[in-house]
Amino acid sequence: MTRHIAGHGVIVVALACAAGTPHAATEADIEKSFFPYMHALPTAPGVAPGTVINQGNVANFEGVLDPGMQRYIREGAVEITVGATTSFDTNKSYVDATKVNAGKVKLGAKPGELVGYVAGRPFPEEPDAKDPRAGEKLAWNNRYGMNAYDGLAISPFYWKYINMDSGKVERNILFGFHFLRYTHRVSQAPVPEITPNPSKLYRATYVKVYEPQDVKNTQLLIQRYEDDTKLDDAYLYLGFQRRVRRLSTGQTTDAFLGSDIMIEDFEGYNGRISDMNWKYQGTANILMPFYNHNDMKLSDEYKEPDGYKYVAFGGKGGCFPSVTWQLRKVHILESSPIDTNHPVSRRVHYMDAQTSVISMSLVHDRKGDLWKTYVVGWTHPDFHLAKNKGSGITPFDAFTMIDIQAKHCTTGQLKAQLDAQMVPVSLFNVQNMRGGN
Amino acid sequence: MKTARDISRPKLSVLAAALPLTVGGAVQAADENLPDLASSTTPWVADVYYENHTARRSRAGLAKFRNTLQVEADRQMGDGWAFRGILRGSWDGVYQLNKDEYGRNAGGAITLENTAAPLLPPVPTTAGTPLNLTQVPHGGGINNPIGTAIGLPPTNALGFDLAANPNDGMRVLGDRWHRPERGAVFGVPVRPCDRDSRGCRDFGGYGDLNLRELETPEFNDRLDFLREFYAKKTFPLADGTELFLKLGRQQVVWGRTDLFRVLDVINPVDYSRNNIYDELQDIRIPMWIAQAEYRMGASESMQDRNVQVVWNFDKFRPNNLGQCGTPNVMLDAACFFRGFANLWDNGGTVANFSPVPAGTAGAWAATDFGPHQIGVRKVHLPAWSLSNTQLGVKYEGITQGGLAFSLNALTYRSQLPSLHAFSAGAVNPFTGGTGNTTPPAAGVPVSHLIAFDIHYPRVNLVGGSLDFQIPDANAAIRMEGALTHGEEFVNTARRELYSKNRVLRTVIGVDRPTFIPFISTTRATQISAQLFWQHIIDHERHDGPLGTVGIVDWEDNFIGTLLIKGFLAGDRVSPQVMVARDFRAKALTVAPQIEWSVTDDFKVTLGANFKYTNGSSHYKFDDARSFNPYPPFTTYTAAGQPFVPGSAGLPGFEPTARFRAGPIGTAVAEDDIYVMVRYKF
Repeated sequence: MTRHIAGHGVIVVALACAAGTPHAATEADIEKSFFPYMHALPTAPGVAPGTVINQGNVANFEGVLDPGMQRYIREGAVEITVGATTSFDTNKSYVDATKVNAGKVKLGAKPGELVGYVAGRPFPEEPDAKDPRAGEKLAWNNRYGMNAYDGLAISPFYWKYINMDSGKVERNILFGFHFLRYTHRVSQAPVPEITPNPSKLYRATYVKVYEPQDVKNTQLLIQRYEDDTKLDDAYLYLGFQRRVRRLSTGQTTDAFLGSDIMIEDFEGYNGRISDMNWKYQGTANILMPFYNHNDMKLSDEYKEPDGYKYVAFGGKGGCFPSVTWQLRKVHILESSPIDTNHPVSRRVHYMDAQTSVISMSLVHDRKGDLWKTYVVGWTHPDFHLAKNKGSGITPFDAFTMIDIQAKHCTTGQLKAQLDAQMVPVSLFNVQNMRGGN
Repeated sequence: MKTARDISRPKLSVLAAALPLTVGGAVQAADENLPDLASSTTPWVADVYYENHTARRSRAGLAKFRNTLQVEADRQMGDGWAFRGILRGSWDGVYQLNKDEYGRNAGGAITLENTAAPLLPPVPTTAGTPLNLTQVPHGGGINNPIGTAIGLPPTNALGFDLAANPNDGMRVLGDRWHRPERGAVFGVPVRPCDRDSRGCRDFGGYGDLNLRELETPEFNDRLDFLREFYAKKTFPLADGTELFLKLGRQQVVWGRTDLFRVLDVINPVDYSRNNIYDELQDIRIPMWIAQAEYRMGASESMQDRNVQVVWNFDKFRPNNLGQCGTPNVMLDAACFFRGFANLWDNGGTVANFSPVPAGTAGAWAATDFGPHQIGVRKVHLPAWSLSNTQLGVKYEGITQGGLAFSLNALTYRSQLPSLHAFSAGAVNPFTGGTGNTTPPAAGVPVSHLIAFDIHYPRVNLVGGSLDFQIPDANAAIRMEGALTHGEEFVNTARRELYSKNRVLRTVIGVDRPTFIPFISTTRATQISAQLFWQHIIDHERHDGPLGTVGIVDWEDNFIGTLLIKGFLAGDRVSPQVMVARDFRAKALTVAPQIEWSVTDDFKVTLGANFKYTNGSSHYKFDDARSFNPYPPFTTYTAAGQPFVPGSAGLPGFEPTARFRAGPIGTAVAEDDIYVMVRYKF
């Protein structure tokens, strides 16, 4: 049962729950949440595997494209190929935890407060357009999704700063990104949490820069608290200073190392839920960059000892991942900062309904104009590294952040590794950054 | 097709041959911080850099043409051990290209102030010039015959051998930062020590260097080309904690401050490289150190806990303050040392020393001292012994609430020299003998002698640091404090002219990223401010008949720093300005700089540093002329000074004012503009 949202021109999936009456998720809700394609795949006129959408025919596909991609294709900056819609089944432990804890979770009185959450998807039921806090619930689904990973290493992680008009690569940065979840763990030992954890950290992100020379050995550690109303702690180790510096968290809206991305942009949204007003805008079938990594056009630019190859990039300036896009059920979510001095006026996130990951964000500047688009490619784990196979966890696989106004982009090619050995707890300590200097 | 390490792998085959370099995978690089994954050996991974730093200094001309080649090499050695080496070699062409200022032809003949000239007879001096010149040459002061003529015993030892200590290759002490202003100054040899060995002493890595050693400072018997050379390993323990070991030549960095050091005192610093303007990473002098960290991780009440033990078992080294005659002489101290050492060895002329009329302050005659009368006699560098090694302990943690802190303790040797006046072994210039033999001071013990040995005393430090953020201000706060026992200060009220004082040093720093629209609307500009406070406990000051007597340094001093650093064009262009203000010295330095990363591998930096002071008279302090070691000859009787040693407080610039002017005030005439290029192969 679908209908069009007036003014958006997109197809909306029927709202599953009774209007205005949020309820505890049923078994059926949970099945539908995690297996939306069990009974039928989404369809749209003209959208079939192999279809190439380009400047010439984009008008026929506006209903399945987000405004950002519509614009790029219309301008001839890129063309995309449709891939078959596939199910990205979620890790069974996570699904089971969702079932066990269904109905126990509720929003607190204020944004950023969550009561009764243990593990799994907090709000597996279909979002209700009449629920004024439906957007906030989706934000929680994203926060506690499997995409937060119990432990993940993205290493190596190659970033390029590119002039979109000329295609000139202005800067290359080689990173290692490491993520660790302290609580609500379901897939990697220890489960359900890492103890002791006196500060009640939820998650930590450790970043190290290996190249180029001027930022080599820069390290960043961000510690996020279970209490969303508490500000992150962030520490920066500058290789040339050999000293860990406390960061004020205001730097999360800074262009990260001069790229087109803010720390707050990481993974679609990487900030406090309580910092935003969340608004659910509807659910639609949209083309999103979900694919099987090993079946994509891969780059020979970087060579790995294990033969791993990275997603290739193409399109204008080489700013677009050369991947297939599949029609997927997507929740459209808007976040607007509470802080009126925030450099962003609002973001529109396209959140995959099955995995709760964000694969597209449209970032608007303070004037309200479209500023940047963030495209994240997600691969099926069974078509990636052997160690990721069968994990039921969707690896982050490529990204591009395009600054439409500056005609500039930052691209990321990476190797995501679901490997607990690469994310020991000790890696996320401040002392590790010092490394004995 | 590029390989995974193409953006980091050296392309010079010659270097690949020198080190058995092979292509290291990015995975290896990315995993180097992972303690559990280093069980196998890996190929060498190395980066090679070339840097040229060229500076031009006001008045002096070229002040630096330094060319540096640096290799940074890493390798997993197996069994969890990892090796890291940084090899650096540099050649500074300034000694060849500006040899008249800093090289073989530096310095020349000097003249010295002689304020008593109108009161003096035109008698010939050793230099052949009459004594009554307002500016006399080196060798143009009161000597033995003149001394005898004015009533000193004929045995007086005034005068020196001008052939052994010629008026050539010299500069007037302090001429780079102050005028004599009726004070006691003297000539300082400034040429490399193979060219002119006068006053050359090893003060601990500087002071006795020849031209080659100055040009290529890393290639010495302390193997300074090994900037770092260590192995490290993390041992996982059964209870989930870790023991981290790091053994070898290394830097150990404590504290949370920039530019000036409070807790970061484990490694001495080489200020000869670029005064205070290089990153500390590049100027800390690596030491052979064993450090162990017991990383306990979280507990029920603390989010992180670590205990670190640092044993610096290297042979002692002090800070390198720069050899006199080279471009960077911190505090102008080495010029004072070299000039004073030359006075001890060979004697020399001291401007404005002998009061005319005798015992009356107002006009002074230049005086030729003979050898072994005044000056620096000996440098006592601590030899290697177990008891001379240095040991530190640090506990570092993060509380539940996110407050990061450290508690530190260190026992070490002072990295700055301390001057100890000695009382025996010097020649009384007025009698030619030793001691006081002349009535009414016959038999009075000699003290306050203007003759010193240099020592590096042991210092014990306890301190701590912390940082936290203030969300409402969008700022991070850093604080650091240290209390030391054993530091020594020039104290003209003491017989030995120094005293041991406890010192409290604290700093508070604020870091705030701020969007400044005219710089960038998307990239925050970093604003970092620090305020240092130094307090000398039991600071001693007395009023003497001619001025203040006591500790030269300020009892309380404050230094403020401000750094504003912007980032443009994807961080490839970074303008910044650094300002440092020494409040009591009334000295300011402003250092603008812009960095441009032309490519990932090639960076160009343009910059300058300018210094300003609000006058200099406040630097003057008790300057030794009225120490009265040899009464009655040195007694200011008109001021009521008794016939016993002890200072009357007559002020002047030399030699004490440098301790009040500080590193900025003493470099006030050394405005530099520079360009640096750095390329990674």
